[in-house]
Amino acid sequence: MSFIDNIMAGFSLVANLESFLALFVGITIGTVAGAIPGLSATMAVALTLPFTFSMTPITGILLLLGVYKGGIFGGSIPAILIKTPGTPASSATILDGYPLAEKGQAGKALGMALWASCTADLISNLALILFAGWLASFALNFGPPEFFTLILFSLTIIAGVSGESLLRGALSAMFGLLLATVGLDLIYGTQRFTFENPNMMGGLNFIAVLIGLFAIPEIIGMVWNPKADEGKSRALGNNWVTFQEYRNSFRSIVRGSFIGVFLGSIPGIGAAPSAFLSYSEARRKSKNKENFGKGELEGVAAAEAGNNGVAGATLIPLLALGVPGDVITAIILGAFMVHGLQPGPMMFLINADIIYGLFIGLIVSSVFLFFIGSIAIRGFKYVADIPRSILFPSVMVLCVYGVFAVNNNLFDVGVMFVMGWIGFFMIQYKIPAAPFLIAFILGPLLEDNFRQSMLMSGSSASILFRGPITWFFWLLTSITVFTIARAGIKTRQNDS
Amino acid sequence: MKLIKKTILGAFILGLSATVALAEYPERPISMVIPYGAGGATDISARSIAAPLGEAVGKPLIMANITGAGGATGSVTIQNAKPDGYKMLFARVGSHSVNPAMKATLPYTLDDFRFVTVYEINPVACAVTPASGIKSMSDLVAKAKEGGLSYSSSGVGSLLQLAAVMVLDEFGVEDPLNTVTHIPQKGGGAAATAVLNGTVNFLCTNSSAIAGFVANGQLVPLLVTTAQPVVGFDAPTSVDLGKPALQQLVGWTGIAGPDDLPDDVAKKWGTWMQAATSNAKFREIMESRGSVIELMNPIDANAFILQQYTTFRALVDKLGMRIEG
Repeated sequence: MSFIDNIMAGFSLVANLESFLALFVGITIGTVAGAIPGLSATMAVALTLPFTFSMTPITGILLLLGVYKGGIFGGSIPAILIKTPGTPASSATILDGYPLAEKGQAGKALGMALWASCTADLISNLALILFAGWLASFALNFGPPEFFTLILFSLTIIAGVSGESLLRGALSAMFGLLLATVGLDLIYGTQRFTFENPNMMGGLNFIAVLIGLFAIPEIIGMVWNPKADEGKSRALGNNWVTFQEYRNSFRSIVRGSFIGVFLGSIPGIGAAPSAFLSYSEARRKSKNKENFGKGELEGVAAAEAGNNGVAGATLIPLLALGVPGDVITAIILGAFMVHGLQPGPMMFLINADIIYGLFIGLIVSSVFLFFIGSIAIRGFKYVADIPRSILFPSVMVLCVYGVFAVNNNLFDVGVMFVMGWIGFFMIQYKIPAAPFLIAFILGPLLEDNFRQSMLMSGSSASILFRGPITWFFWLLTSITVFTIARAGIKTRQNDS
Repeated sequence: MKLIKKTILGAFILGLSATVALAEYPERPISMVIPYGAGGATDISARSIAAPLGEAVGKPLIMANITGAGGATGSVTIQNAKPDGYKMLFARVGSHSVNPAMKATLPYTLDDFRFVTVYEINPVACAVTPASGIKSMSDLVAKAKEGGLSYSSSGVGSLLQLAAVMVLDEFGVEDPLNTVTHIPQKGGGAAATAVLNGTVNFLCTNSSAIAGFVANGQLVPLLVTTAQPVVGFDAPTSVDLGKPALQQLVGWTGIAGPDDLPDDVAKKWGTWMQAATSNAKFREIMESRGSVIELMNPIDANAFILQQYTTFRALVDKLGMRIEG
């Protein structure tokens, strides 16, 4: 069959009410689920899976993809409104989204999140359609040494989100690295810092740490000093993001989308590091560097572009190689298999109509996301108008419920509160929370890949320089570290 | 008047007998713990059987994923649960035969559980990439003896790690822990990817996990551990190769309660599972994923798991693989 034939066959598969309905329902479910803290995009997809068994393959898979995309966007809503990320991927959105909401610009932040998400989604889908084969073969060149150098480079983000004091940022990051070591050692299977407690054997729950670190300190702060915000207006007004603002952030959005596509096509990284990397790059290139972290619209745009750029790209290794890059694509792979389909190179020959049908559905999904997202924002934005005395207790209930629901484990709720107090004291002593979080996400990846590399080479460090990809990241890392050092020396000279 | 009295008495007796009937297990929803994450093999298996099983039970089943530490965190919640049959566990080969055999610090042993059924068997297959030039088990064994061979697993204490070691040991590779390098990955998907991108040379895993790669020609199967050939896998069985001991090496999913679970509860689960596993839709879903539906009653299930554990434990002790820290 020729290319045109395939597209036509794909059209005939997708062009029915059922497929579009599935996509629509999926995005709606995903957006709502993503907006509920504790109900992550992964869980929403897993819960939808059984319903797809009785559908035709294309309808079922479009439903799941809809839930996935909706979920990644939906996570940004509570991140902006109540500083509680709905999914781990939206934790970078907090950094500027919540300060904007505090300034009474929640509507603007949410609007920008939606526009950035849809743009990134579209770019990601196009990348999947046009470059799937090329990106997939590139992704297969990523072994542990390449991963190690990439993660090492990503750790330089910490300098970007440290705020005024690099020392405080580094302190925060080291604390994050330390807490990330709790659990079972990957290589030997021995226990680290578990104190004989089975609840600690799995490591500290990511969502519990995340919510504890960001949302709970706000609540403690409110209890500590209930009158602090008197006279401040939090009402969002009806300010919507303007096209001019979108254009100003457009470069960051496109850059974030490509970072997302690149990291998404490599199995095993995920959306959260991509969002942080995109955010830090946007900050580095921006004229308003100082304003990042205090309510910069471009920061929201970059973070959301980074995490939504991953969504289409994770399908690249799945469709081209049959390799699931994360848990969500593993579930989607399961849905393929239930219908007797085997994603991989052969699928482009045997079931090309389904592949092209999916592509068409994906493009449509970006449009649907825009409309459903607009409606969702319209509904959710009134949360910003709720007085703090009512909002914060409700957020507290939501956090407890959400953290418990992740793993049905009361221990995690305890972890959340302990982290909440730590987060509160970190704010008191002006220690930024973002470096902690980045280190907590990237630390285990860095360690595991380093030790896997050492196992591969029999403990010879030369494997960390084994090819062009590693050289590229070593170069990037040294340039960044050099720039940071030079900037530091300059400020010191200016001070004295 | 008499009639009324009689009626009341009748109603009373009827009511009483109704309460007796109600008091019979189960009178309220049953929580089912899945000790692995959403979307994994155990999760999909559990959620697929939830619908037909719920029908058989007649009460709702509440499914909860409690993940962490290779299934240990979720398993502990059942170890400490009341033995009333209202909190049960989806047990898996990793959490209930490999882990207890390998980990000295595990907070539970096999004796802490009573298995009411094993309903799913997953054949294990070993595979390499076509680029490796390895075409058969004898090629693999020859390379292993030369040194420099490596394999991936989904983590320390996983079936994948034990499977590779057991296969090498059966084929006469001496001291497989030191001659062949184990490079653990995070999860089964990552383990397969590590073979595909050349980080390691081979892996032994559930056939369903690599069925797609085999069908696409990205991986070449060298061996399946079952006595029967596996559909889609053009590879000799353990019996063909004269290693029938490897038949012990299979994955499974079952249901367990705490060790003092009463007999009548266990018996009920036996009948429910009979009904649930005969559901055509459930079979279709599981078989399309490469699982073999094989229902065991409570007695057979306990014996099967104990035998697998004993085999694994013997191997672990022989090679000194036990993790003490």
